Amino acid sequence: MSDKVTISIKRSDPSKGEAPHFVDYEVPTQEGMVVLDAVHYIENNIDPTLSVRWNCKAARCGSCSAEVNGLPRLMCKTRVDKMGDKISIEPMRAYPVVKDLVTDVSHNWEIAKRIPPFTPKPNLPKPWKIAAIDITRSKEFRTCIECFLCQDVCHVIREHQSNYLGPKHMVKVAALDMHPLDSIDRAGFLHVEGGVGFCNITKCCQNVCPEGIHITDNAIIPEKERVVNEFYDPIGILIHRRKKK
Amino acid sequence: MIENRRRLNVLSELLEPNWRFWSLVLILLLSAGALFLYPVSEYQGYVDPFYSPTVLVLPFIALFRLSCYAYRKDYHRHVFKHPMACLNDERMDSSKRKYTGETGFFALNNFHRYFFYIGLAILPFFYYDFYTSMVYQSGFFIFRLGSILLLVNALLLTFWTISCHAFRHLIGGSVDCYSCLSHGKGVKKLFNGQSFLNLYHEQFAFVSLLVVVAVDLYIRALIAGWPVDFTFFKIAI
Repeated sequence: MSDKVTISIKRSDPSKGEAPHFVDYEVPTQEGMVVLDAVHYIENNIDPTLSVRWNCKAARCGSCSAEVNGLPRLMCKTRVDKMGDKISIEPMRAYPVVKDLVTDVSHNWEIAKRIPPFTPKPNLPKPWKIAAIDITRSKEFRTCIECFLCQDVCHVIREHQSNYLGPKHMVKVAALDMHPLDSIDRAGFLHVEGGVGFCNITKCCQNVCPEGIHITDNAIIPEKERVVNEFYDPIGILIHRRKKK
Repeated sequence: MIENRRRLNVLSELLEPNWRFWSLVLILLLSAGALFLYPVSEYQGYVDPFYSPTVLVLPFIALFRLSCYAYRKDYHRHVFKHPMACLNDERMDSSKRKYTGETGFFALNNFHRYFFYIGLAILPFFYYDFYTSMVYQSGFFIFRLGSILLLVNALLLTFWTISCHAFRHLIGGSVDCYSCLSHGKGVKKLFNGQSFLNLYHEQFAFVSLLVVVAVDLYIRALIAGWPVDFTFFKIAI
């Protein structure tokens, strides 16, 4: 590893009408340095006007999401020595920029409001009891740290206009649908309002997830199969109708 | 806006200068030519996997492969380039083209489970071919290199088929409350076991395809007189 690394940051300030442009900074490297360390070095020693959102620096809070060398990653989990001598850092493209590396991800809260919420089965004896065997599947989805890297890498969200919820919200829907005490079936919502058909299961979301959630295999595809049950498979449709009766 | 995007857009994809797509079309045409113009259904007890049980089921197997989640990922990425890679689309290659995902023509992929049923029904024939390759001479049991290849082919096809995502849904993926079922523990164990295989579904999908082609080429090599067969033992029964 060389003693210095060039960090190229895409800077902009829409509130002042400043257009996006790359600025290069020379940063001395240290053993075990992560990209967020380099950004902090720039903020503390070269240009204090640089804006970056971060909290835990331990890959738990999901705040420091950015596109490092073109791929969405957590800056605190990306080692400098793995990224070459010149590293580009850009804000997440799927979201409007507030300033420099800070993006406005509030659109996700609007999407979250559209998802039918957890609705317990009627007349459940209290306190609610859930068998260990029933929680293993949705437990995986609870590890989501809401970094929105999966939303950012999803080409449907980033490059095309559609009503698709996005991988993070598919994980949320799957966690609710697979909850043993939940009584709502969200396949109809996903098929019509959720735009699940726009996902072409190319697994980029699964590739970038810092928590290693099998987003496509364990959340999106099972939900797609539930949609098939209700809207495409003639036998599934018959069974579903009988169950509803 | 969304309704417009849901229109069939296959034609616009075909008109793209997409060398990957047209290369695939050429390979498929050449393969189809080889299969129908130079058929090698059987040679010295070896049944070619493309002709097992009959070449007429090949379209269904092709649809099983094409609607498989593993292949869908790859042809959406590498043939239709939506997206070409997970890196950001600097050249606006993907965003400039219309995209309907699996809402238009590719919504047909939702019938994958029916092609899975056909695939499952065909599997026993590959094991029967393995058995036939050893007893094709009356009064003898012969174990040859080709039999091992047929067995490897049958096993890989089995692993690919039973690691299918649609099968995963059918054997327990649709269940939300396992403890509510009388045999819930068994269902969950089956689901977990299948989920383990499912982790390697993409690998099984591609290796099994390559092995089918390899076995076909092996049998064609034998017919061409290449000395590539090896008999381990031959006993009278």
